[in-house]
Amino acid sequence: MCLGIPMQITDINGYNARCEAKGVRREVNLFLMQDAALAPGDFVLVHVGYAIQKISEVEARSSWELFDEVLRVQEQGGYA
Amino acid sequence: MSHDAAYWLRQIRSLHLTQRTRIMNVCGGHERSITMAGLRSVLPSTIELIPGPGCPVCVCPEEDVYQAIQLALQENIILVAFGDMLRVPVNVPKGEAHTLEQARAAGADIRPIASPQEAIALAHAVPDKHVVFFAAGFETTMAPVAAMVAAGMPENLSLLLSGRLTWPAVAMLLASDTPGFHGLVAPGHVSTVMGAQEWEFVPQHYHIPTAVAGFTAESLLAAFYSILRQLESGKVFLDNCYGTVVSNTGNHRAQEILQDVFSVTDANWRGVGIIPASGFTLQAAYRAHDARVLFAHTVDHTQRKRAGAMPPGCDCARVVLGRIYPNACRLYGRACTPRNPVGPCMVSEEGACRIWWSGGLRAPTAPTVSA
Repeated sequence: MCLGIPMQITDINGYNARCEAKGVRREVNLFLMQDAALAPGDFVLVHVGYAIQKISEVEARSSWELFDEVLRVQEQGGYA
Repeated sequence: MSHDAAYWLRQIRSLHLTQRTRIMNVCGGHERSITMAGLRSVLPSTIELIPGPGCPVCVCPEEDVYQAIQLALQENIILVAFGDMLRVPVNVPKGEAHTLEQARAAGADIRPIASPQEAIALAHAVPDKHVVFFAAGFETTMAPVAAMVAAGMPENLSLLLSGRLTWPAVAMLLASDTPGFHGLVAPGHVSTVMGAQEWEFVPQHYHIPTAVAGFTAESLLAAFYSILRQLESGKVFLDNCYGTVVSNTGNHRAQEILQDVFSVTDANWRGVGIIPASGFTLQAAYRAHDARVLFAHTVDHTQRKRAGAMPPGCDCARVVLGRIYPNACRLYGRACTPRNPVGPCMVSEEGACRIWWSGGLRAPTAPTVSA
């Protein structure tokens, strides 16, 4: 549960942002990011609907690849 | 410049490791990555990777889950919780609801949520009901919960808070006679919020090599290499192998909000006991939203058998502390599977038992953590 998922901001309205990750759209709260300058196009780590950290596009893409890999392994029933 | 997993493996293999070395992680996400990437099988056999206290649902007090069930059974209350909590068992006589899921089947209004924002939306939508948000989690999850409180809660919403801090459990292990590990992989997203420096005490006071890691195989292997290199050289420090995301001081605003909304208190960890300064509790200013205050007299644990304990036969407490591997529990894969979980470590997505089972480790016969 302590896992943030990278998402890209598409739209900001006050503390609310619309974000997207690989075609999935979510409303994301920016209350914890009040000190960060954020704009549409930026990437953030999202945990339980709240952005907790601004990250780079490279970091976001590497995490997405990781989650795809973990899901693939779980669907196959693991390595062991 | 970042290196790939093969590079870090070569680096690890180039070290002169003869001693058995136990490296603990304290994050369900790390354990999931380690298990799903099969990292245990590619490392030298002298290295043991031990899942430690990385699952807040697993250590959520049995009394809190019991209270949540009792509150949910009240006519005017809707109880919401992160989905993992719904199948965590309490110790009650046969015939009584022993999970939130069973209470829901018995008619209680219980709803899984994925975000504190859903609790707010629900409370606005049902002004004639009272909504209790049963919230367990570590710092990463408690920061959003604190943000929800700080931003203003509807009058008919209260919190049954079971939030915990990660580092005090590690401090407790280190202060014990048998910490059980030689190196620590510090959690990635807890450190994102709290800052890497929160783990400085581990190398400084206990001389244990420590490295913050991300969730990719490369980042985890870089952290293992750092820890092993530190052990070999005798120069112990706090390394940050997730510097692209984790800063030394973390998300300051999130820390301020956590401090404004919560105070830190001694707290009970299921099966483990009280760990000093390891729990979040609502500040007095938010008493009107504290379910522990509002519903203080709704439950009596003194009449219940095994109140507070893990389920009978379940070894979750020792799994959580890294004392044994999941499959050393005699229930693992026999009486206890994700379909019919006995203990919280098989319920939660962050529980080591659940992760090992999902990773295909089905045999209940693999080695135990060596003493």
